[in-house]
Amino acid sequence: MSIIIELKNVCKSFGNTEVLHNIDFSVTEGEVVVVIGPSGSGKSTLIRCINCLEMITSGELIVDGISIPAERKRTRQIRLEVGMVFQSFNLFPHMTALENVAFGPRKARKVGKTKATDIARALLGKVGLADFEDKLPGQLSGGQQQRVAIARALAVNPKVMLFDEPTSALDPEMIGEVLDVMKGIAKDSGMTMVVVTHEMGFAAQVGDRLIFMDDGKIVEEGKPGEVMKNPKSERLKDFLGHVKHH
Amino acid sequence: MDFEFSVIIESLPALLEGAKLTWFITILGIVGGMSIGILAGLGRLAGTESLGEEPQGFFKPLSVLIRYVSGGYVESIRGTPIIVQAMFLYFAFPMLVKAVIDIERFRVEALTAAVITIMVNAGAYIAEIVRGSVISVHKGLLEAGMSLGISRFQLIAHVIGPIAIRRMIPPLGNQFIISLKDTSLFIVIGVGELTRQGQEIMASNFRALEVWLTVAILYLIMTTCLAMTLRYFEKKMKMF
Ligand SMILES: Nc1ncnc2c1ncn2[C@@H]1O[C@H](COP(=O)(O)OP(=O)(O)OP(=O)(O)O)[C@@H](O)[C@H]1O
Ligand SMILES: [Mg+2]
Repeated sequence: MSIIIELKNVCKSFGNTEVLHNIDFSVTEGEVVVVIGPSGSGKSTLIRCINCLEMITSGELIVDGISIPAERKRTRQIRLEVGMVFQSFNLFPHMTALENVAFGPRKARKVGKTKATDIARALLGKVGLADFEDKLPGQLSGGQQQRVAIARALAVNPKVMLFDEPTSALDPEMIGEVLDVMKGIAKDSGMTMVVVTHEMGFAAQVGDRLIFMDDGKIVEEGKPGEVMKNPKSERLKDFLGHVKHH
Repeated sequence: MDFEFSVIIESLPALLEGAKLTWFITILGIVGGMSIGILAGLGRLAGTESLGEEPQGFFKPLSVLIRYVSGGYVESIRGTPIIVQAMFLYFAFPMLVKAVIDIERFRVEALTAAVITIMVNAGAYIAEIVRGSVISVHKGLLEAGMSLGISRFQLIAHVIGPIAIRRMIPPLGNQFIISLKDTSLFIVIGVGELTRQGQEIMASNFRALEVWLTVAILYLIMTTCLAMTLRYFEKKMKMF
C-alpha cells in the first residue's frame, strides 16, 4: 500500500502565532487515522491543511502525488481527491438533500445531470436517507444533515475523506447513526480516512492508528487499543481521563 | 376649503405623462444601477476571502486596484447629495468636457442626465447591499464548496450568489423605492417628470390640494408596484 498523504516538517502560523510545529505525518492508502487532542491543539488546522483550506506556512505537503507549495496551482485537484466533513455540516441551505449531493459530481466532476442524480440517489440510500431527498437542510435533524454532508463529500468520489469532529454538534441520540455511516465507509469501501473525534469507541473499533496532538505537535501515536491502554505521556493520560468521564 | 374633483380629471393627462417619465427614468436607472452595483459590490470584495480564497500572482495587485476603484466610487457617491450629482452632470460635466477636449457644442440632455444620475447613484447603494449580502454568507459554506473541488466562478455562481441574492431582496426593495422618489429632484434640471408636471399645473390653476394629492397618489401607486414585484420574488424563492 502506498502513501497518499505526507506532511514533511510542516509548520502553520496564523499571523505571528505558530499553531503547528514541524509536523511529520503520513497516511497510507486505506488507512483510518483517528486524531485526538485537547481544544486548540491544532487538530482542525492539521486536517484543513491537508485539503488546502489552510495553506501551510513551511515544509512540504504531498497529497496523491501533488506537492504543496510547489504545485499550488493544483490545489483544486487535491480537493477533488480529498473530501471533507465539517462539525457544522455546512450543507447548502438553498439546495435539497439530493441537490446537495448531486452538486459535486455535476460541477466539480462535470458529470451529466441524470448521472449525477443517480449517483446522489444511490449515496443518499447508502446513508439511509432515500426518503428525504426533497428535504431542505433546514427540514432535517442534525444527524440527518451530517449524513447528507457525508454523502455529498463521497459523491465526488474522493480517495481520502477528512472528518473534523463530525459528531460534536449532535445530540447524543444522533451520534450513533453518523458513526455507523462512517464505520460503513471505512469497512465496505476501504476508504482512507483521517478523523478528528473524541468518540473513543469509534477510534478503537475502526481506527488503524490513533494520533494524540497537543500544543501543535503529534505527541503520541500507535494502534488505538494500545495507545489508549498504555498512554506514555502524562498529557495523554490526563486527556484520556477527561474523555472517559464524558 | 373646496375640493373640485374636476380639477383632478383635468390635470390627470398631464400628470400621467409625468408619471410615465418618472417610471421610465426609474426602470432604466434601476436596471443600470443593478449592473453597476453588482460589479462595484463584487469589486469591493475582489481578492478577499468572501469570494473564495485570496488570489495569487498577477491577480493580487489587480484585485487591490479593483477594490480601490470600486471603493472610491461608492464612497464618493454616498458622500454627496444626489441633487448635486445631477447638477454636476447636467451643468458642470459638459463644461469640463469642453475644456478638456475642444468640442463645439457638447451638452447632456436633461433626461439623459436624469437616467445616468439614478443609475450611478443607485449603483453605489446597491453595491453596498451586494457587498453586505455576500459577506453575510457563512464561511463554512464557502469551505464546503471549495472542498468539493469547484472553481471560484462556480462557487460564486452556485453557492455565494443564490444565498446572497435572497438576502438582498428586502434592502433592494428599499433602494428601488428611494430611487423612484429621487427622480422628483430632477425638477431642478427641468425634466418633465411627475413632480415637475404637478408644479406646472399648480402654477397655472393654483389648486394645490387637488394637484398634490393626485401627485402623491400616483407616486404611491408606483412605489406599491415596485414593492409588490419584490415581494413576489421574495416569495417565489425557496425560503430557508
Ligand atoms: N483562522 C485562524 N486565525 C487565527 N488563529 C487560529 C485560526 N484557526 C485556528 N487558530 C488557532 O490555532 C490553534 C489551533 O486551532 P485548531 O482549531 O486547529 O484547534 P483544535 O485542536 O481543532 O481545537 P478544537 O478541539 O477546539 O476544535 C488555536 O490556538 C486557535 O486559536
Ligand atoms: Mg477543531
